[in-house]
Amino acid sequence: MTRVGTPPPLPVRDRTAGQDRTAGALSPMLRRLAEEQATGVLVREHGTLYLAQGRVVHAESPLAPGLDVLLTAHGTLAAAAWQRAAAQATGTPDAARLLLEAGLLPAGALELCHLDALYDAGYFALAPSSTPGRFRYDSGSRIGPLSSVPVIALERETLRRRLLLHRLWPDPAADSVPLIRADPVAAAPVTPRRRAVLDRVDGVRTAPEIARNLGRQAFHTLVDVRRLAAAGLLRPVRTAPAPPPPTPPLTVTDPDIALLKRLRDALEAL
Amino acid sequence: MPGIDECLLEAMRLPGARGAALVDWTSGLALGTVGEAPGGDHETTAAEAAELARMAAEHGAFTTGDTTDGRPPVEDVIISNRDSYHLLRFVDTSFDSSVFLHLWIGREDGNLALARIRLGEMAARLVLG
Repeated sequence: MTRVGTPPPLPVRDRTAGQDRTAGALSPMLRRLAEEQATGVLVREHGTLYLAQGRVVHAESPLAPGLDVLLTAHGTLAAAAWQRAAAQATGTPDAARLLLEAGLLPAGALELCHLDALYDAGYFALAPSSTPGRFRYDSGSRIGPLSSVPVIALERETLRRRLLLHRLWPDPAADSVPLIRADPVAAAPVTPRRRAVLDRVDGVRTAPEIARNLGRQAFHTLVDVRRLAAAGLLRPVRTAPAPPPPTPPLTVTDPDIALLKRLRDALEAL
Repeated sequence: MPGIDECLLEAMRLPGARGAALVDWTSGLALGTVGEAPGGDHETTAAEAAELARMAAEHGAFTTGDTTDGRPPVEDVIISNRDSYHLLRFVDTSFDSSVFLHLWIGREDGNLALARIRLGEMAARLVLG
């Protein structure tokens, strides 16, 4: 009889740890904007958060398929209908509002898809970045009719998602570089959802590209990719390290990365 | 046309309903909650229920076999204990998602058969309008 190893449990916040340290852990600037109930657009390296009165109303990331992709990929909405709405609208939330008012989408389906896309893009937008975020006050973001999310809820969920991925397979390389199939030591059964992901692993596509191709949330695909990596069915393509350049005469010492990060955080907190 | 909150409030009108939630079983995130949660914590309940739902959906023993059409491989998962029932109803969406409705009902005044039928109807109305 074969035994299936018990997968790691989905993480939950440790409530016994006393004070919740989530607030500001990802972006001190975002925390400050939530406290002052700011309205505007926070542009970070891997994504953008749209705030209205300190709540997240919309999120976008080049790494996560947008609401338009999720809705049109499987025929929930005709691509032409989205394009018509988008042409009249000032942005994705506005286009969604037009579609809702025109009765082209059920409210529940749209709300569900909107929240899926928001948490998905938000996860990438709040990923560690090498440059400070920029915030632009802009009264264009509005609350409703689509649901908005408190900043703390997005921060908490993003941290929980990071922990979930780490528990599944601790190597984050599979999240962003091209993937290639690997020969597992023992063939493990693959679920149909993960089979679809595996079928698109071709040595060129990255996990976010596979998600877009499948019209799925990028984070869901990262979960599948990490599980497939843990099962030995795929691995990230390791690009050969470039040959070290001829050593220049040493004029500067290595920058202190930790110091730079503290400096960036301090600048964001200003 | 109902949104997530309206759908959950409707579920709470079922006899014996204690709490309801809409949960993503890949991430364990509760997209909406209403009423009570076992232990008073919707977040933990959602993560634990998601684990259970995922196990049911991903193990061939519990699925219909034909899972190539993108529809949920399982309709619902039912847990009963001495005091209450838990009903997890997979939501069949036309877009790609992995969500289920979780209804917690007291055993004394709840009606499992009725709740199962109604929850299925609510799950369909949520995404079809």
